[in-house]
Amino acid sequence: MSETKSELPPTIKTSAKHKGKGPQAMTANELRSGLSVWMTQDFGWSRDYADALLTEDDATIERMQDVANAAELSNTVVGAYFIDTVNGAPARYRERFRTHGPSYDTADLI
Amino acid sequence: MYRYDEFDAEFVNARVAQFRDQVERRLDGRLSEAEFRPLRLMNGLYLQLHAYMLRVAVPYGTLRSEQLRMLAHLADKYDKGYGHVTTRQNMQFNWPVLGDVPDMLADLASVEMHAIQTSGNCIRNVTCDPYAGAAADEIEDPRPLAELLRQWSMLHPEFSFLPRKFKIAVTGAPTHDRAMVRAHDIGIEVVRGPSGEVGYHIIVGGGLGRTPIIGETLRAFCPKDELLPYLDATMRVYNRFGRRDNKYKARIKILVRETGIEEFRFLVDEEFKALDASDIMVSQAERDRIAAYFAPPEYASDIKALDLEAQPEAFRKWVETNVHTHVQPGYAIVNISLKDPERAPGDITAEQMRAVADLADKHSFGEIRTTHQQNMVLAHVRQDELRAVWDGLVAAQLEDANINLIGDIICCPGMDFCALATARSIPVAQKIAERFNDHARQQAIGEMQIKISGCINACGHHHVGHIGILGLEKAGVEFYQVTLGGDATQTARVGDRTGKGLSEAELIDGIERIVDRYMDVREGNERFLDTYQRLGAETFKEALYADA
Repeated sequence: MSETKSELPPTIKTSAKHKGKGPQAMTANELRSGLSVWMTQDFGWSRDYADALLTEDDATIERMQDVANAAELSNTVVGAYFIDTVNGAPARYRERFRTHGPSYDTADLI
Repeated sequence: MYRYDEFDAEFVNARVAQFRDQVERRLDGRLSEAEFRPLRLMNGLYLQLHAYMLRVAVPYGTLRSEQLRMLAHLADKYDKGYGHVTTRQNMQFNWPVLGDVPDMLADLASVEMHAIQTSGNCIRNVTCDPYAGAAADEIEDPRPLAELLRQWSMLHPEFSFLPRKFKIAVTGAPTHDRAMVRAHDIGIEVVRGPSGEVGYHIIVGGGLGRTPIIGETLRAFCPKDELLPYLDATMRVYNRFGRRDNKYKARIKILVRETGIEEFRFLVDEEFKALDASDIMVSQAERDRIAAYFAPPEYASDIKALDLEAQPEAFRKWVETNVHTHVQPGYAIVNISLKDPERAPGDITAEQMRAVADLADKHSFGEIRTTHQQNMVLAHVRQDELRAVWDGLVAAQLEDANINLIGDIICCPGMDFCALATARSIPVAQKIAERFNDHARQQAIGEMQIKISGCINACGHHHVGHIGILGLEKAGVEFYQVTLGGDATQTARVGDRTGKGLSEAELIDGIERIVDRYMDVREGNERFLDTYQRLGAETFKEALYADA
């Protein structure tokens, strides 16, 4: 799934609480494939972190929460959560690592 | 090997149908993720760092050839063409998609396999000596015991929601523990009693993770017919008193440590006296029925002597390192290394699985074992067919001659795949294997067990590695802590922390200096572990940090 747009129900409260610092990105896993995705500028989802929406704007962050919650309820993604970013990249090592996938996969040798 | 009866087959097929319905309901939204998550975990399906992961149970590490072929089929059809042998002798697939998993489970059920109890706070897959039934040093084949425990623990209503997951290991060779029984919640050794009768030594409270503890004797000799009632009593005590308020203190090892082994034993004995043992006691006839599934194969007697001198050097080296003595004259136990330095330890491609299954059919009665050291075993190979087996392994690129040597590294998936990991472990294993790739050097170093975990949960068993490596991360940088002198065998001990963490580059150089120091100071053919115990940690710490 790439660049899939989600409709925004107006009154849904989200479980993906924003508690971070600095520009925020929203990430999740696709329900069907399990693959990592990030919320895009147009509030869809992309498997490519380069497409991720990064923002400090409170209103946009609130909208991202609502969109993520709606996407969970519509069974598009699971486990949505905000991540902190620094200079355009995820702040935590784990999240940076997650943007580019395993550094080794036996599948690449087959 | 054990075969499903009609009830087993009916049950597993029913579970597949049940899970298929659950997945459908999840995909169309009738089940929320909160509702679905425990259901998928009960069927071995995790959501990892990058994708789903399906963990398939390999009961006590035994596979029939058609089962291994089915795992190859799953790898090809539903995953990316390979599987990963875990330190609980199971097989994991790293890239399944949710909608395919019911089909994967249905395919598994068609060969009497499943993924039940490979997750959750239940009794997990019972692990076993991979040489069971073939080792010259065992008192009795432990597989019937492992199968009995599988049947007892499978869906046990009282033990399906324990304070925490529960791991049991068994061995029939107490003098050469290849199942790591002292690092399990319960370890069971087959032993002889005062009159020579066969029974069980019950060890409790071992475990690795963030609080590594070596298990203690709960009962030195448990008669066979008392085993299940006694284990029932032990589990009841754990279920009642094990902590549920803090998952990091919920394993039985914490209960035993906080209670004290004497008091814990008293509690178990009291429970044992109070329960109706006849309820669960297994008759000799039933034990015999299970044991019959594991009867020794029909060994041949016309085996020709193997003239090693006439064979190529590479084959001779492989025999020296990978072939183990068999209880039956003329036969050998063949270890298949899954430690190609260029691959992740324990990974095996679908093509290689089929090659191993074919070799098992031709040369080892159609049976394969997986090992907690993330290798495979052909347990019953005629010595005059060893060359044919080796030729087959060479063709499949599975001929690495490094069993129990420095290249035979245990390694968890680490940050490359695992959602819990704090650092990568696979690249570290690869770099160490590459540094010591020269076979002559590996042989000269001798027995050396390096074990690597990518986080404190210790799936890579680093605490009991001769050299243990724990991957951590701080401020966005991976670093590695080293322990020395750990031992996973009958003389089990937790390794000693050396000191501050090292970068990956410092680590690889430091390990090489430790090895070089050992080669300088060892006496005769002394193993690294023996040299370490004789000299203590200081000289090796000095070597490790010489350039850091």
